[in-house]
Amino acid sequence: MSADVAVRVDKVTKTFRMYHERNQSLKSAIMRGRTSVHEDFLALNDVSFDVPSGSTFGLIGSNGSGKSTLLKCLANIYYPNSGSITHYGKIAAMLEVGSGFHAELSGRENIFLNGSILGMSKKDVTRKLDEIIDFSGVEQFIDQPVKNYSSGMYVRLGFAIAINVDPDILVVDEVLAVGDADFQEKCFNKFADFKKAGKTVILVSHSMDTVKSMCDQAAWLSRGTLQAVGEAQSTIAAYVDSLHRDAP
Amino acid sequence: MNYLKEVWGSRELLFNLTSREVRGKYKRTIFGQLWSLANPLALMLIYTLVFGIIFKSNPEPGSPSGLNVFALWLLCGLLPWTFFANVVNTASGSLVGNANLIQKVSFSRIVLPLSTVGSSAYNWAFEMAVLVIALSIAGGFVLPWLPLVLVAMALLAIFAAGVGLLFSIANVYFRDTQYLLSIVLQLWIYLSPIIYPTTLVIGKSKEIGGLLGTPITLADLYELNPMVHFVALFRQLMYDNRWPDPSEWVVCLAWAVVALFVGAVVFRRNERKLAEAL
Repeated sequence: MSADVAVRVDKVTKTFRMYHERNQSLKSAIMRGRTSVHEDFLALNDVSFDVPSGSTFGLIGSNGSGKSTLLKCLANIYYPNSGSITHYGKIAAMLEVGSGFHAELSGRENIFLNGSILGMSKKDVTRKLDEIIDFSGVEQFIDQPVKNYSSGMYVRLGFAIAINVDPDILVVDEVLAVGDADFQEKCFNKFADFKKAGKTVILVSHSMDTVKSMCDQAAWLSRGTLQAVGEAQSTIAAYVDSLHRDAP
Repeated sequence: MNYLKEVWGSRELLFNLTSREVRGKYKRTIFGQLWSLANPLALMLIYTLVFGIIFKSNPEPGSPSGLNVFALWLLCGLLPWTFFANVVNTASGSLVGNANLIQKVSFSRIVLPLSTVGSSAYNWAFEMAVLVIALSIAGGFVLPWLPLVLVAMALLAIFAAGVGLLFSIANVYFRDTQYLLSIVLQLWIYLSPIIYPTTLVIGKSKEIGGLLGTPITLADLYELNPMVHFVALFRQLMYDNRWPDPSEWVVCLAWAVVALFVGAVVFRRNERKLAEAL
């Protein structure tokens, strides 16, 4: 292992099945003698790159380019058909905040529940409880059931838990666009702290401004293949160029 | 082995998910946990009325306990059964019901069906405690047998977990499973000696003799049902207050181990495909 690589993506290929006919009931499976008719769709085609440790790494590309698929592969939710992804350090993914909240339980109970889903031990959560509550800004309502929360409060609490998992590598989908301007600034500061602590952040975003201001490295995906990887500025420029070129 | 380590590593999550189910279930009800007694009590009333009084199903009095109360005799088999049925039912829906979580967060998926075992076991333990008190009041001498009852409960929980794991995976691929399951469970309760004593089946079997000219009797087929053995364990320990036949222990242990092993292997094989299949 090389010390300066946080994640190594090596020849990752991922296909999905596109079903023309999917028999999710026993009757149809038996009648037709098969469970499905499908063709494979190549979502990621032989993608390889290294994410340097301590960098903030942006994944950019148009809709349907395979960014989210790659992100899910990084987060161990999907598994590549071939190739491998190696993490050097503890990884945590923030693909959606607040998943797994139980509506009838209080914010405090949900912090413990959600924390353990994200892989924190009870000790960790107890230690960080104040920090999480403080960050979320819902102190006043922390003992109320979360079903009474406004959607902003809900997301802020979820984000506060996820950001406090304290991984070496953080994988973030476009969840930065949550909360009010005040909360967003808090989040950006938190990411800056992350970077200062020498941790790696991998994020997907459609906002080139976000990527420009936060990332020092970037990878550009188009239709499942890697177009460019390297310095954020030049990669973004290449991506934006291609958009303008395609436009009539 | 690695898998065991992974599951062991998720024990805290398992505990949290279980308590989520337990605490979330009776929130905002007036009677709270008492509701978990309502269902078995209602079943007890119905079955006692229909089978104990109208049909006069007369199980032998417990020996040596001397108990002769149909309702208590019934509950000794009914409570383990409802636990088993609950686990299999809720476990089978646990993956589909948490699809959103599975597609967004990476964690050991097996805790989802296992947590339903935990939350059902919690309710079951509560029901069993009430039953033990009722048996004691009726003159049974259950207390010394409690450690063995706990062992039997653990065996049934393991068996139920294994079956639940299988159905949870099956339900991901074929959503009919949940509907089929409710029919299977209804059949299964009547194929088990819950509301009638095993002796009835054995008597009938002797009358008929070998089936279709083979030496296989009805009773032999009947004994293939694992619940026959589990119910026998509970009845003998709790109602009769005697040491169960060692062979019953062996059969139950074997069913529990095989079910859990097969369930875990099938689950592990499919675990990684869940996020896509759901």
